[in-house]
Order: sequence, then C-alpha cells, then structure tokens
Amino acid sequence: MLTIPERFVFTFLLTVLGAVTAAGFYGIFNIVRSGRAAPPRQETLRHLIAAFIDVGLQKPIFRTRTVLSIFHAFIFFGFSFYFLVNVTDALEGFVKGFELIYGGEAIPAVAPALTPVVNLGLVNLFNLVADVLSVLTLTGMAAFILRRFLGRDKRLRFNDNVLLHPQVEQGHVHVDSAIVGGFIMIHVGSRFLGQVFRLAENGRPDWFMPFASVLSYIFRSVPPNILNVGQHITWWLAIGLILLFFPYFVRSKHIHLMAAPLNIGLGKQAPRGQLDPAVPPGADDDVEPGAKLLQDLAWPRLLDAYACIMCNRCQDVCPAHSQGLSLSPSALEVNKRYLINEEYFALAGGNRSHHLLTEVVISPEAVWSCTTCYACVRICPVGNEPMADIIDIRRRMIIGGAEIDNGIQSALESLAKNGNWFGKGSRARARWTKGLGFKIKDAAKETAEYLWFVGDTASFDARVTPLTQKVAAILHQAGVDYSILGRLEQNSGNDARRVGEEGLFEQLVENNLAAFGKSQFNQIITTDPHSLNTLRNEYPQYGGMWPVHHYSKVLLQLVESCRLEIKNKLSHYRATYHDPCYLGRYNGGYAAPRQLLALLGVNLIEMPRNRENSYCCGAGGGQIWLGTTPEGERPSENRIREAITALSQSANGSGPGGKLIFVVACPKDVVMYTDAVKTTGNEDKVVVKDIIELVEEAIGEAGD
Amino acid sequence: MNIVVAIKHIPSLADELEVNDEGTNLDYDMVDFVLNEFDEQAIEQAVLVKEASGGAVTVVGVDVIEELDGVLHTALAKGADKAVKIVGDLEPGIDSHTHARWLADAIKEMDADIILTGVQAADDLDGQIGPMLAAHLDMPYLGVVTGVEVAHRVATLYKEYAGGMMGKYAVSLPLVVGVQAATKPPRYAPISKIRQIAKTAVIEEIEVDDDGPGAAVMLRKMSPPVSTGHANMLPGDAEAVAEKIIAIIKERGLL
Ligand code: SF4
Ligand code: SF4
Repeated sequence: MLTIPERFVFTFLLTVLGAVTAAGFYGIFNIVRSGRAAPPRQETLRHLIAAFIDVGLQKPIFRTRTVLSIFHAFIFFGFSFYFLVNVTDALEGFVKGFELIYGGEAIPAVAPALTPVVNLGLVNLFNLVADVLSVLTLTGMAAFILRRFLGRDKRLRFNDNVLLHPQVEQGHVHVDSAIVGGFIMIHVGSRFLGQVFRLAENGRPDWFMPFASVLSYIFRSVPPNILNVGQHITWWLAIGLILLFFPYFVRSKHIHLMAAPLNIGLGKQAPRGQLDPAVPPGADDDVEPGAKLLQDLAWPRLLDAYACIMCNRCQDVCPAHSQGLSLSPSALEVNKRYLINEEYFALAGGNRSHHLLTEVVISPEAVWSCTTCYACVRICPVGNEPMADIIDIRRRMIIGGAEIDNGIQSALESLAKNGNWFGKGSRARARWTKGLGFKIKDAAKETAEYLWFVGDTASFDARVTPLTQKVAAILHQAGVDYSILGRLEQNSGNDARRVGEEGLFEQLVENNLAAFGKSQFNQIITTDPHSLNTLRNEYPQYGGMWPVHHYSKVLLQLVESCRLEIKNKLSHYRATYHDPCYLGRYNGGYAAPRQLLALLGVNLIEMPRNRENSYCCGAGGGQIWLGTTPEGERPSENRIREAITALSQSANGSGPGGKLIFVVACPKDVVMYTDAVKTTGNEDKVVVKDIIELVEEAIGEAGD
Repeated sequence: MNIVVAIKHIPSLADELEVNDEGTNLDYDMVDFVLNEFDEQAIEQAVLVKEASGGAVTVVGVDVIEELDGVLHTALAKGADKAVKIVGDLEPGIDSHTHARWLADAIKEMDADIILTGVQAADDLDGQIGPMLAAHLDMPYLGVVTGVEVAHRVATLYKEYAGGMMGKYAVSLPLVVGVQAATKPPRYAPISKIRQIAKTAVIEEIEVDDDGPGAAVMLRKMSPPVSTGHANMLPGDAEAVAEKIIAIIKERGLL
C-alpha cells in the first residue's frame, strides 16, 4: 500500500506521461499512414489473430539462432505476463489489504467477490508463474546484455562500408539496447526483489514463490522498517519506472513488441513472387513510380521500421552482405527508423521528409547489390520486407534517370530492342533447335498441351543450350506434346521488373501475352525459375492465367508414370542439390527435384543451407548483368565451398572420376556454378550437373 | 540555342546478316533496324550541351522503313525537345549523298546553331553525312569529336588523336560536328517514359519526293565472308583443344 503523497505522484505521472505517450503513438499512426497505399488487405482480423497466435508461440523467431531465441522466448513470456503483474502490483499499491502474497489470503476481506478465485488456488498459480517468469526474464535479458556488450557479437555490427544514419554510426542502437535492457532488468528485478523483501518482512516463505522465498532468507535479519522502505522503493522502480519509460518507448526499438505482431498481421498477402505495383493502385497520373523519400514508400514499409528489432538476422543471410558489399537489409530498416525519429515531429505533422532515401537509408551502390533472393524477408522475425524498399528505390532511380551500371543498362536496352538480354536478334532465339533430329511444334501454328517457355539463358547461352536440347529430346522421347514460340518469345520480364524497370517489364509481358494469345496450349512449362516466377505469380494480373510448371516437376511425373524408364540407378553418385531462390523460396518447389533425384537413385546429401534457407547463387535481380564484378568471395563461390564441405563429410559414392556432383535445376545456376567451380579451383573435386543430365544418364541404355 | 541532331536508322548487327537473292545488298526483310550507335552518342552530347548551356534539341532522321518513331520517342525521353522525320516512298539502302541532301533541306528550316551527327554509321562506313551536311549548309565541320561545350556562341570541341594526344578546338557557331563519343555514356531511357511520350508526342513530318543527284557510285555485289578454307577447326572441349594446340606447336617445332 502506497502512502497518500505516493499515490498522488503516481496518478499525476500516469496522467501526464500517459498523455505524452498517447500523443506519441498518434504521431506514429500518422507517420505510418503518410506512406503510400499498399494493395488492400483482406480478412484483416483473421490475419491479425493468426499473427498474434504465431507470435504467442514465438514461431517467427525460431527460424534461426535457436539458443538466443530461447532466451528471447523467456523474455517474451515474462514480459507478456508482466502486463498482468503490473496491473495487480498497481492495485496492491492503491487498495489497502489487497495483497496476492500467500495465495491471496487477505483478499476476501477487501474484495469478497474474489473469494472463489482465492479458494481455487488461482492466486497461487499466478504467484508461481510470476516468480518463475521473473527469473527467466532476468536470465534471458542478462544473456542478451552479455552477448551484446561483453561478447560483442559481430552479428550485431555492420560492415564498415555500409551507409549508416549518423546516430547509428555513433552507436545509438547500442545505447538504445542498453536503456531497454537496463529498463527490463530494473523493472523485473525490482518487482522480484520487492517480493523477496515482503516475504522477509513477514518472516515466512510462500512456496508458490519458490525463488523469492529462498532469497528471502538472506534478508530475514534486516529490520522490518528498512524492508518496508525497500518495498516502496522497489515498487517505484518496478511500476513507477514504466511511466518514465513510456515516452521513451515511442522512440525506442522496444516498440517492436507492439509493432511486430501488427506488422506480421498486416503483412503482404499476395504470393511471395508477386511484387507490389510501382505506383499504388488507383493513384493519380502524376504519382511517380517507386520511392525517393520516406513517404513514397508504402505504409507497410514505414511500419517495418517500427517493427524492426535490429537483430541483423536479415543481414546474416544476405549474400551481398556476406560478400562484404555495402548492402545490409537490416541497416536499411534501422536507418529508416532513425530517420523517422529524427524527423518525427515534421513527419507526424504531415510534412515530407527532407532526406533522400539514397542519402540516409541505403547507398545507391548498395541498392544495386541486391539479388532479390528474398532471404532477408523470409528470415525476418517481425515480417519486414527490406527487399521491397530496395526495389522501389530502384524503380525511382530508373525513372528519374539516375546513372546505372553500364551492364545493366545495356541488358535493359537489349531487352527493349531485341526482347532478350543477350543482344541477339529475335530470329536467333530458336537457333538451339537446329540439329535436334526432330521438329518442335511452332506454337503459333500448331496446338499443343504444353507451351515450353524457354527463356533467354536457355536459348542463347552456349553453356546452356546443349542442356536445353537434352530437355527437348527427353520430353520428345517421353511423348510430351509441347510447342515453343520461337522468335515470338521474349524475356519474361522477371528480372527487368526486379531491377526496377517496370515499364520494360510491362512491355515484355504485353509482347509475350500477345504471342500466347496467338497460340493454342493449356499449360506452360519452363526450365527457368525466374520465368516461372513471373509467369505464375505476376502474369495473371495482366490476364495470363495458365498453370506454370517447372521441368523438375514434369520430369518427376514422367518418371513416376513410367513414361521415362529408369534403366540405370545412379546410386554411385555422391550429390547435393541447390535450391534456386525463384523455384524454392519463392515458389515452394522443394519436393519435386528431390523426389526425382531419389527415383534416379542419386545418393543426395543436403547442404546445411537448403530449402527455405538456401543460399542465393548471386545472379538474380539483375546481378548477372552487372558490368563490373564486385570484390569479395562471390555467393556462388561460397556455395561451392559449402557443398564440398557437406559432401566430403559423407563417405559413400562419387561421380565420374571421383568427383562430387552439384545438381542444379536452373539455367542461370549452370552458368554461375560452372564458373564458380573454376574460379575456386575445384574442377578436380566438383562437377556441376543440370538435373536433366542425370535424367539422361538414368534413362540411357543400361551400362552406358 | 538550337541544337540539331541528324540521325540514321540502320540494320541491326544483332541479327545474322543475309544477302538478298540478287546478291546486290542486304536482305532488308530479314533484319531489324536500330539507331546508329554514333548517333546515340550525338543525341547524348546534344542533351548534355542543352543541360549545361540551355537551348532546345531537335532530332531529325530519314524514316527509311517507317519504324523511326520508336527511335525518336526514345530521343525525346532522353531529353530532346522536338522530333522530325523525313518520309516518302523510300527503300532501304539510300546513299550518303541523298541522305545528307534531305537532312540538309530539313535542317535549313530549323535555324540551327550547332548540328551534331554520328561520325559514321556501321551500314556504309562512309563517314560522309557530317561533311556533306556542312557543305550544304555552308558551315565548318569537325569530326571524330569526343566532347562538346558551348559558351558565348563558341563551341569548344575535343578530339582525341592517335597516341592519346588530345586536341582542343574553339569554333564559332554555327557548325557541324561529327561525334565519336559523348562526354558521358548515353543515358538510359526508361520504357514507361518512352511509352508515355509515344502516346502524346507529335512527330513533325517532312515529305521528300525526288530523284536528285545521289552518289555517283553504286554497290554492285555484296556477299557474306567466304571461308578461305585455310582455317583448321579443332573440335572437342576446351581441354582436348588445348592438347591439340600444344601438339601442333610442338609439331611445328615452336616449343
Ligand atoms: S529487418 Fe527483421 S531481421 Fe532485419 S534487423 Fe530488423 S527485425 Fe531483424
Ligand atoms: S533480397 Fe537477398 S540480396 Fe537482397 S537484401 Fe535481401 S537478403 Fe540481401
């Protein structure tokens, strides 16, 4: 029970600081609202509830860093329960005789209505949970503090070449962490200590508060009046401190505890592989595509900044960051938040930001390092999409005439002129079909079940066209009824869109859809995951409604239905399989290639980073077009080394000449990894094989 | 300041070139047309001059196969202000003399202060359009220029000589410049901008209909490069080829 002056001060502080905090939240609400419209969310309530359940079970955070995630779960459960604890503590302070200690034995006297609650032992349960969770929270928080400040965990730092907001540069994230960590330690620690003092003052333990009871023995000898003062102090440090922390909360990263579930619940609902439009739906004609200032970003991107807990998990999985480049998806989110904090009052008042995103949030150089691999988005425990910001910034740079890499520029110009990025005339597209020994149907002239969308790399790259021919021959052999568009096919536009060239993407979509419209087919197949992604997820928005399949799945079906007969089991092969980002993470195509390999008899050994965690080859998002090769170990080289380690740890089988087999199912991967095997000097150890080569070997004449 | 860029639409080298049945020229039905790459540099240089010193850029070209609009829209998207195309009942393969005469007639009406054009084009490798324009318009000409600045009606022109020597000229306007390269690489024109311009832009048309004097020479025979039969192709993968090369070198006693 607090004294009268104490109660007065508390009420006063609660009113004033509560009002300040409410105004702070209103400002945040306005800032988030000042972002551009996002595609409308459906069934918001259901998604929010689902998000709260997921967060309640701590699912999103357990995607990685298991041990730290356990500590986080301690803090999370403790802190959540403390909402209740804080309310009861406040009541204890204000209502005489209302005390939860000893199972709440004193409560019936002041609140007779609560007698059944006491009799059922619910107060004991409450005390027990509060006691245990207090200790767990303190443990978790202590672990976090030690890790950051004593262990100086490198993962919490940025590469030197990453653009940082001046405050971030000065280490404010650590200051903020120290404040939040300190707050939690003091808040929870004081509450716990207060209970200890109370038990000591009463001179008897409450075994439903086991930790506090044990500790209380230490303080038995302290005079009761001092223990009493101690209880007042700890009450203020526990409950009063919340009031002081409230206004700071608005500026702190700790606000993630509210923003994160909201952010997850209000997150993107379209398929992963479908980018949001460059201009919000229904916007005026003069709205420029993409983003230059904070407010050009869609509102979920601004909410992202509030949800971000600055854990750098996204940075850990970013191939550009691992290469030592200046891109860090977490720095992007952190900078965004610090920029918002810096301009908070102006932004909340409806003014536009004064800073270019490319000056404070992400450097132009970093903007062009993103492979759009989606790893950052996938791993983020609070549902952030740093990649979406990057693409919007690219969009505005392109439309605004910013200087772009000469390789990317000539690829885009060739795409616009020739419909492919190889600088080849459209007539050359079907040249790979020469010498096949049979004729592939021309989609414009003949009906077929499948349209094979070949894609640029498979059509033009001399390293890949022999594989394209193998696919053609095997489909032909299995009696698959398919056609190709030949010169009428153009690049699908997937990468052009991800480079930020929305207009070019639309032009390519229109040209392809015009060609599709002239042809008769029911389904689309492709070997190229990038084409698959946009054909499946984005073309429907432009009216292209055909089912799209990856060749790995078609081949699997052919083997399963015995239209391709396995004559040689490839069980002597020691192989690993690389999930292409745009087949795996984007489109969930994990099972088919693995099942196919199993049917071929391949002895498959997984790399540590597989399926959802697969590591990007570094080609996507226009990176393969770059005119300059950035420094550092390329992602594909890193991946080859990972494969060698994984494969050499397992004992049996090997490929031709004792080599390990690196299986790919993407034309760009063939190019990237063949190259990486050479540049890492591993030609004598590993051989890159497209899955079609394994199929060919398995269905070949026995003993081939 | 009126800046004029004279451009040329030429067959694309992205395609494999084929010769017509008579063997007298390219089979123009089997190639796409693109903007001459030196003209692309000229457009960029014109826009750079305009950005630095003010003025308006007019792009003018002969619409040989009635597909020049796309090129002109791109030029407008890059910062040109006006587009003009010379039209008529035309066939590809127009010689430089005729080309220059038509362009000069069009430019005479434009009150041009500086005329930029690509120093040559891949289709005929003549490099004649610039000098002939200058003759028709009675202006000085400087070719193989790699940088243009204009101030107080004087153009400063940069020209790179063999051995890396750099020449700097000051020429009073008006004049004709044959551009080898712009000061900066040509900028990218975003497609959405080009498409927007395509919807709204008006391209001025100038009709030509004459058989005035052309070049006094004509192309008699065109043929794809004939393989002389001297090359000895080494089949096989890189390793096998490398081995054969070593064997040949040894065999000839070079090692
Ligand atoms: S964006 Fe997500 S993963 Fe990255 S630092 Fe923020 S919270 Fe962590
Ligand atoms: S999409 Fe991939 S490359 Fe781009 S920022 Fe995210 S993790 Fe990095």
